[in-house]
Amino acid sequence: MSSAEIIGKPLLRREDRRLLVGQGRYLDDLAVPGALHVCFVRSPYAHARIVSIDASAAVEIEGVVGVFTGVELAEWTTPLRMAPAIEGLLPVESTALPLDKVLFIGDPVACVVARDRYIAEDAAALVEVDYEALEAAASFDAAVADGAPLLYDDVPGNLVSHQAFSSGAPENILDTAEIVVEAAFHQHRVTHAPMETRGCIAEWDEGQQRLTFRLGSQAPHPLRSQLARRLMLEESQVRIICPDIGGAFGQKIALLREELVVAALSRHLRRPVRWLEDRMENLLAAVHARQESCRTRAAVSPDGRILALTLSMDVDFGAYCFYPANYMARVVAMILTGPYRISSYGYDVKVALTNKCGSGPMRAPMAIASWVMEGTIEAIARRLGLDPVAVRRVNLLRDADLPYAMQTGEVAGDITPAQCLDRLLADAEYDAFRKRQAEDRERGVYRGLGLCSVVEPSTYGSAFYKAAAIPGSGHEAGWVKVEPSGAVNASVGLMGSGHGYETVFAQVVAEGLGVDAETVRIHMGDTDVAPYGMGTRGARGATAGGSVLLLAAQAVRRKALTIAASMLNLNTADELQLQAGRVQRRLADQWSDTGVTLASIAHVAYLDPLRLPEGLEPGLEAHRAYDPPPMTYSNAAHACEVLVDVRTGKVTVERHTVVEDCGRVLNPMIVEGQQHGAIAMGLSGALLEEVVYDEDGQNLTGSFADYSIATAVEIPPMRVINLGKPSSSTPIGSKGMSEGGVMGAIGAVTNAVNDALAPFGVVAERLPLSPQYLRSLLRGKT
Amino acid sequence: MKPARFSYAAPTSMSEALALLAESEDARVIAGGQSLAPMMNMRLAQPELLVDINRIDGLSGVGLDAGSLVIGAMTRHADLAGNALVKAHAPVLAYAAGTIGHYAIRQRGTIGGSLAHADPAAQLPLVCMLLDARIDATSSEGVRTIEAADLFETLFTTTLEPSEMITSICVPLLEPGHGWGFRLFNRRAGDFAEVSAAAIVFNREGEAAVRLALGAIASAPFRADDLLPEFDPQDAGWPTRAAAIVAEAAPIEDNARMPADYRREVLQALLEDVLRDAMRRA
Amino acid sequence: MIVEAYERLPIALTVNGRSYDVTVEPRRLLSDVLREDCGLTGTHVGCEHGVCGACTVLIDGRPARSCLTYAVQMQGASITTIEHHGASGELSALQQALHERHGLQCGFCTPGIVMTMQAWLDENPEPTEEGVREALSGNICRCTGYQNIVDAVLVAAGRQADMRKAGK
Repeated sequence: MSSAEIIGKPLLRREDRRLLVGQGRYLDDLAVPGALHVCFVRSPYAHARIVSIDASAAVEIEGVVGVFTGVELAEWTTPLRMAPAIEGLLPVESTALPLDKVLFIGDPVACVVARDRYIAEDAAALVEVDYEALEAAASFDAAVADGAPLLYDDVPGNLVSHQAFSSGAPENILDTAEIVVEAAFHQHRVTHAPMETRGCIAEWDEGQQRLTFRLGSQAPHPLRSQLARRLMLEESQVRIICPDIGGAFGQKIALLREELVVAALSRHLRRPVRWLEDRMENLLAAVHARQESCRTRAAVSPDGRILALTLSMDVDFGAYCFYPANYMARVVAMILTGPYRISSYGYDVKVALTNKCGSGPMRAPMAIASWVMEGTIEAIARRLGLDPVAVRRVNLLRDADLPYAMQTGEVAGDITPAQCLDRLLADAEYDAFRKRQAEDRERGVYRGLGLCSVVEPSTYGSAFYKAAAIPGSGHEAGWVKVEPSGAVNASVGLMGSGHGYETVFAQVVAEGLGVDAETVRIHMGDTDVAPYGMGTRGARGATAGGSVLLLAAQAVRRKALTIAASMLNLNTADELQLQAGRVQRRLADQWSDTGVTLASIAHVAYLDPLRLPEGLEPGLEAHRAYDPPPMTYSNAAHACEVLVDVRTGKVTVERHTVVEDCGRVLNPMIVEGQQHGAIAMGLSGALLEEVVYDEDGQNLTGSFADYSIATAVEIPPMRVINLGKPSSSTPIGSKGMSEGGVMGAIGAVTNAVNDALAPFGVVAERLPLSPQYLRSLLRGKT
Repeated sequence: MKPARFSYAAPTSMSEALALLAESEDARVIAGGQSLAPMMNMRLAQPELLVDINRIDGLSGVGLDAGSLVIGAMTRHADLAGNALVKAHAPVLAYAAGTIGHYAIRQRGTIGGSLAHADPAAQLPLVCMLLDARIDATSSEGVRTIEAADLFETLFTTTLEPSEMITSICVPLLEPGHGWGFRLFNRRAGDFAEVSAAAIVFNREGEAAVRLALGAIASAPFRADDLLPEFDPQDAGWPTRAAAIVAEAAPIEDNARMPADYRREVLQALLEDVLRDAMRRA
Repeated sequence: MIVEAYERLPIALTVNGRSYDVTVEPRRLLSDVLREDCGLTGTHVGCEHGVCGACTVLIDGRPARSCLTYAVQMQGASITTIEHHGASGELSALQQALHERHGLQCGFCTPGIVMTMQAWLDENPEPTEEGVREALSGNICRCTGYQNIVDAVLVAAGRQADMRKAGK
């Protein structure tokens, strides 16, 4: 294979082999001699004062090393103060473990350290915590109501964040418009539920005064900074090592309290300490996401043009802020208008703290945005009696509109929403479906087809993170080294959890350098080895990481060819190229082999530096950093086809088709796999998954029997068509992807169900689309 | 999520097993463990002694005896589903067993375990009710035969004594020509039913009858024959009519996560299908 | 006769044809003993209540959740884990198909899927897509959306059929 064409090939994944034969190494697979195990004692109350903690019976158990509480941890760690300078956002502080109050069911109050997990659990059951129960605020409305119990004394009304924005006078237009369409969208609380739960292994080296901390992290460097700071250590005293990660989806970014506690206890006890979260802990107390209610008002012309749009959004955040509480909602509000030309827009976003598990980003933190926008389009079509496709077309951005600056200032550049929609309508057989739908309705069978256009923010450079006040930078750094033998090592500061980086980045380095992909090995997840980077999040890994590795590899190639030119006694490397690790020279428009190989160049560079051209350093390596644009935008159009049994309310998804443009596709097999996974996560969330709290804040979904993730039976066949229009704003030409599938699936399946239910005159505006909910809409109408 | 400590015995004979059950204050029999082990891992069950009956010979398998199928308590769901005798003489039982949980679960779970666990949403308690199965419970005192209708007391509770274990299930053979229907409604493949129903239709010379059992909607599965309107095998509209009547009258327990009015609607849909299936197969 | 709750019982576990002498309390889960005492960490623990399927192994040739089994019960049984597949250095037809069809991403659920679906394919050598989806429904995968796994199982079935024919 010519190395010039490695990017874009569907190379099979090199990480597969070890994973297929049971030789992957996930956190809990690592044997650490002498390691102690912990189990956290967790609150059974949604909101309560801790009166006392009595661990005397627990420490009597043979094999128990100790039981530690927030008071002790506070001596060894600093609190987390989430206080970015964002107007309308209040600071929130939390300690390693609560000192006086628990704020949700599952809040850790003490940590048992023992010889093994069995004993730690035995002891945890014997720790007696005396609580004084307090009234709980277990929903947005309950939290912001007058006289609501306060979670934090310094967050009045529990309203931790409130931002408003308006451009183009939307309220004035709405006030005077002839047609105003309103729509509501209530998204339920879900959670990431990676198949591998969280966990960590801390090893404090007393001699070195250094902590080696193993955990699955999407962002090892920002995590190291945070861990070092909270342990009052230097970053040089903390090494993060990430083994294979069994899924993350946003749950493994921030340093959470259990991890901090385990690290502090290893240092305190001078013993290795490990924790593996169990599934119940993961579901109750890791990170939740997405409980958001949105309302839109659109002023429209009779042909469906949107003249003005406003969004109001209420977020039920939960109790703890490991991210700025406005972070996810802000992105929804910023990018809401997506692929549409809307010149007057405003939003009002409120975030309330509630007695539930805290929220964080989850694969497509802004997932609701596409549903809200596309659901608003559908509402307009219903109101005006127009074809929803026609309403989309009249508002859709065209090539001539691009680059398009949304009212919020976000600039969508290389997007192709009209092309994706056109292609989708053809490939999803839209017109044929309408005919079939009409025939089936005659015999009492209710099918629906839902569309959803998506503009997916991705890549997220420093300019985004700074504006969002997220700790860290936004850039990625990478290095590429040709070793003395000619072997190629490369590293980047990201960490993957199934993304296929070891394969894709090898392709990138191979193409940038001029070698076969098989000769490149990618090293990730060890902060002693990998350079600083912001990590895998926001669909940025391949674009940010791939771009920097491409730049570094190209730099190494230039040096290699300079050396080669000297080895060949040429004055310049202009007529040389590196292909599959061999130097070729152009003579009369023909490339011919020179006999010089990368290995021979490396030999000179490292072992015979006296032969190097004057002024050239020994060695053959390059280190580069790359800060992506604030945002790149991919786009897609989804079509979801459903069958609704109106007697029971059960939805069967029959197929899902996507046409997507995520720029240059680095490995089509892996990109398609990411799209499948995102669509499935979207559908599973929209149809089945739900974290259920009752009104007292009791969590009813602490097991996989209750928190229901879709199986192979519920997920339909999927078809993905890629239209890759390369990005002009990233070196590698990709735009970032893998979250848009979630966004599109949620919007498309909901629109599909509403399409199916149209004959009954009902509209689902709440997720999940459970049989029970759909029956409640249909009751008396079927 | 690790179980609390328990003592363990794996007797190789019935007498040994029964002696253990008789002697221990707080013993639980473990067969396939597919229901008990999760509860133990979550420490919702913390028995002192686990009596493992997997090593006792003769507790599994299916035979024919005096007009009945005799099914050993340790017969695994997958074996029940695939057994030729069961398929021939109680096809509804074979079918229902094949819908339990998932493929791997069916390899371990047993009929005796399922009946003793008494989950009102489970398949086998429902079908045993439908088929008028008789359950042999054995203790050191001897064997007691319990009608299925008398076994299930309430949620996860049977009328078995702590010293008793189920040893076999006797299912009266249905005559050829009967028709059956079994359906369960769940949101996700393999989940326990939100509503389940099973029916048998007999249509002989001048005599027609229907049996109906309902599951998941009350604290135990129950027979609902008496809720059915008079059966008319000639009336193609009967299932629809009967479904509406039964759904209207069925006692359905309310709970916060699944209100009765919703379950009633699902029940009606399910009944229509179940009764139609049974008539079609008769 | 009775193994007391605190007693540590020496047992011989047969895993992948090899005998492992381990000492276990009655409550030790087979999944933990395989992973910690036998060092066979390919069996993954995803939920410990029998729903996710990641810990599926074969007990006497039949798939079972190792998190719902106590090691003490396994005296005399023959256990097969993922380490059995690929020990020869070659991937099985199913593993190879999963590789080619990109039927795994993070790989955490993969061993359980290989164990389950290989056993199922042995019983169902001519599967339909619907059958594969039903059989696979006891294994949760959070990454792939299942479609590539389903495709891979069908491909593997086809190749196994070809091999059987060639063998005849």
